[in-house]
Amino acid sequence: MQARAKRKRDSAQHKQTRAASKNMKSFTQIPPGTQILIGRAARRRRVLERAICSVFEGWSYEEIIPPIFDYYDVFAKGWGQEEQIYRFIDREGNILALRPEFTSLVAKTVATRLVSSPKPIRLFYSGEVLRFEKPKGGRQREFAQIGIEHYGGAHKAADVEVLLVAVEAFQRLGIQSFQINLGSVDFFGGIVDRIELPKEQIDALKEVLNVKDQSGLEALLQTLPLEERRKNILRAVPHLTGGKAVIAEARSLVKNPRSVEALNHLEEIYSIFERLDLAQHLTIDLGEIRGFDYYTGILFRAYVRGLGFEVASGGRYDGLPAAFGEDVPAVGFSFSLDRLAQIVTPTLENNDANSAAVDIDSDFRKALELRQSGKAVKLCL
Amino acid sequence: MLVIALCKGRFLDPSLAMLGSVGIRFSEDVASSRKLIFDSEDGRHRVVLVKPTDVPTYVEYGAADIGIAGRDVLLESRADVLQPLDLNFGHVKIAVAGPRGTQSINGNDNPTVRIATKYPHITMDYYNARGIPVEIIPLSGSIELAPLMGLADRIVDLVETGRTLKENGLEIVEVIAESSARLLINRAGYQTKRHEVRELIQALEKVIA
Repeated sequence: MQARAKRKRDSAQHKQTRAASKNMKSFTQIPPGTQILIGRAARRRRVLERAICSVFEGWSYEEIIPPIFDYYDVFAKGWGQEEQIYRFIDREGNILALRPEFTSLVAKTVATRLVSSPKPIRLFYSGEVLRFEKPKGGRQREFAQIGIEHYGGAHKAADVEVLLVAVEAFQRLGIQSFQINLGSVDFFGGIVDRIELPKEQIDALKEVLNVKDQSGLEALLQTLPLEERRKNILRAVPHLTGGKAVIAEARSLVKNPRSVEALNHLEEIYSIFERLDLAQHLTIDLGEIRGFDYYTGILFRAYVRGLGFEVASGGRYDGLPAAFGEDVPAVGFSFSLDRLAQIVTPTLENNDANSAAVDIDSDFRKALELRQSGKAVKLCL
Repeated sequence: MLVIALCKGRFLDPSLAMLGSVGIRFSEDVASSRKLIFDSEDGRHRVVLVKPTDVPTYVEYGAADIGIAGRDVLLESRADVLQPLDLNFGHVKIAVAGPRGTQSINGNDNPTVRIATKYPHITMDYYNARGIPVEIIPLSGSIELAPLMGLADRIVDLVETGRTLKENGLEIVEVIAESSARLLINRAGYQTKRHEVRELIQALEKVIA
């Protein structure tokens, strides 16, 4: 009898310690993909954010602060990468999602609440987004995005405008060696339109082209019933990266109107950049075929020497506002603040040095007076 | 300067020979030294030696601009890198193997196939695409032993000549993929160091056997 009671007591104790250690773990361990910014790291983030916001404001973009969650359908429809969306169910049974990006939220707002606002509409946003993906390159599952959206402007002018805003943001941050890679979904899209192959084979083609795998492409082409001229176009696609000469090279390959129109458009943008003495930051990249499904025209990614991942990306997504009920052209981009923070070290003002240390004995009135005169104080408690 | 990640082990000599044939040479003996970082004689390239499975990671994160690794390692890593060239050495098959005479075992006999492997991702992707439920038994060496000891029904491993399989009473059931050495390139580096990277790709293209 006694032994049994002891066993019972032991097991209860055991359960308690287990529960305690489990609780402990949940406080020390932060969920994978989250992070905590403290002190200098937090200030660095804010300094970068403010610098970029001031550039956006300088180009007459107005801030939009959308909710951190919305109906799941908004993101599933607008953004697409369903497996990366954090979703949950509210008490009424609605399926909601934490925002994985801003663009679909902003597009929805423009197509609904701002539907009768005069165009163009220029908006910028800054905040955290959440994606269930492998934390990589300084970007966690929760990460900071800052970007702009331009709705209802003429295509060419709006495309150039958002690119110029991106250029100024880099310059404002003191980054000189940045490259903006400019491509178009319509160039490759026009080629694919002409190829009559089942979707699986098109996907297989995209897969090898996406990683510029020449031998994989060759092996695949052997099995595809395409005429040699089309095969040669596909062989050339991965190499179509560089300056203006790339556009001429691409012209010699394609004749379909969609691709040709894309080349005309890129050439016009490039020429404008040449006239502005900014073409050194622009690379034409027709071999880039990645990108969210919502892109419909130009597509760009920005790289900085010394960082293995892109720091900004964007493009045109005319179909997105239409998906929410209002057909209005749209273009925009976003920066990854976490990645920028790795390559930019903004000069932080040293708060401690500027603050007058006020001894608590000397009374709180002194502290109030200093504060009213705009001085920083630090009470010696 | 371009940073090139090479694997220690059987890939090292052919990799160095290939770099040598495009003029990237080293004053020290890279293969026998205990150092891990070597600068080329012309000072334009730096080689770092890492474990084979770490090469895609170094390249994906941009710690190295370029890497040389087997396609097996690359597929398993799922790293997002460019892979423009097949360097045409280190040829092996990634294959499913099982005890001789058990070819016919399939999902109907065994609701779940137990598979021992060093390549859990490749194995999972292969069977997921076929709708066959499998239980992955992750091992890090002597994979051939697993079916003999009753630990697994099948193995997924590299097969070069097939001799090891034969000597352990195993045979190839299916070939999943062919593997050989690949040139890997970081996506950002391909753009920000475009001239140096493309120069190297073009030079290598000419010397690939």
